[in-house]
Amino acid sequence: MKITIDGNEIEANFGETILDAANRSGLEIPTLCYSEAFGGQGVCRMCMVEVKEGDRKRLVASCTYPITSEIEVQTSTPELLEIRSNIITLLYRRAPNSDYMKKLHQEYECTGVEPVDPEEKCIMCRLCIKACEKVGAYAISTIMRGTEKRVATPFDEESPVCIGCNACADICPTGAISVKKEGGRQKIWHKSFEMFRCEVCGDYFSTLPVKEHVKEQLELTVSGDNLCPNCRRNKLARDVANVSK
Amino acid sequence: MAVNSQQPDDRHAIEKIVSSYPPEQRFTLAIMQDLQKQINYLPKESLQMTAQHVNAPVSVIFSMATFYKAFSLVPKGRVILKACDGTACHIKGSNVIIDEIYKALGIKPGGTTPDGQFSLETVNCLGACALAPVLVANDQIYPKVTPALLRDIIKEYRGQSDESDGSES
Ligand code: SF4
Ligand code: FES
Repeated sequence: MKITIDGNEIEANFGETILDAANRSGLEIPTLCYSEAFGGQGVCRMCMVEVKEGDRKRLVASCTYPITSEIEVQTSTPELLEIRSNIITLLYRRAPNSDYMKKLHQEYECTGVEPVDPEEKCIMCRLCIKACEKVGAYAISTIMRGTEKRVATPFDEESPVCIGCNACADICPTGAISVKKEGGRQKIWHKSFEMFRCEVCGDYFSTLPVKEHVKEQLELTVSGDNLCPNCRRNKLARDVANVSK
Repeated sequence: MAVNSQQPDDRHAIEKIVSSYPPEQRFTLAIMQDLQKQINYLPKESLQMTAQHVNAPVSVIFSMATFYKAFSLVPKGRVILKACDGTACHIKGSNVIIDEIYKALGIKPGGTTPDGQFSLETVNCLGACALAPVLVANDQIYPKVTPALLRDIIKEYRGQSDESDGSES
């Protein structure tokens, strides 16, 4: 079905989100809580767009709004720009301590605000929680409510189900999750893990529970258990080269 | 009053409450409300047991337990004072009552006295606006509370605890 985004005609699939359709056509809509891997969460509202259907106009979150009819979409009306700038202002007030937010704060020419906690980094996008869910660990969640809301493990203690995969820290756009690697150990979310080395280059690259988890999940015996992603790629490339010889 | 979940008896009591509900996630809130009502707070182990019972991650249960004001993760006082801070009570000076409670007991909304006797909560309208400002102590409703009246109420409940100290555990 045909839709238009900022006047560009686009062929969209029934049920796909406006954001996906836009991305596929190379049109950019700003997002904060969206990841290609998880789809839209509808948390940050940064991706708001204006949808016109017949003569009804309304604002929707493009990352969760499914296309079911031939709509006209506007992505940057003055109203939308103001909404985005407000979102950034408020988030910056909550969590100013990351390059990511500092940059956005400048880009959107936000008004000056007094940060609540100058050290805070987390913008509550929930990507870390989503990542942890996808890994299947469910070690972290948001706790408390309102202004006290934050991401944590239950009771702020080390979680028996955390495997130290760092998926949360890797996906975090603001670097809010601290990971300390030292002497073959890694500490994350109050928990310390023993790491293991890549068989080829000898670099520490992941934790023991992750190794077990991966084995369990995929029975991954292909092309080497204990290789870091780099060396695994190299080995795979060699194997493929050998096969095609 | 505080439950010690290391004690087999208390553990058993928690287990009994939790397992009286069907093992489905939609009963999580009901279980926690029941625990809060009967034990006066949600001990750590009770959340772990609930998670196990309804087959949900502890992180999800903990998230819910900390989200709702009705739940407390630390033991609540023997007497729970609920000061209404709805619009009518607010205008009629509920903040004076709340201040007065702070003067008398040293606790703010959400707090519990160190001796475990009193907890203070605020509620957003009890639906008894004609009686503003309203205070509820356990299930007893006190209308048109004044600072003087408040001191009497606190005295009354303090007295109770001395009399019943032996019988209550
Ligand atoms: S810790 Fe990072 S990924 Fe998690 S909610 Fe905060 S900003 Fe988002
Ligand atoms: S990207 Fe759509 S709400 Fe966050």
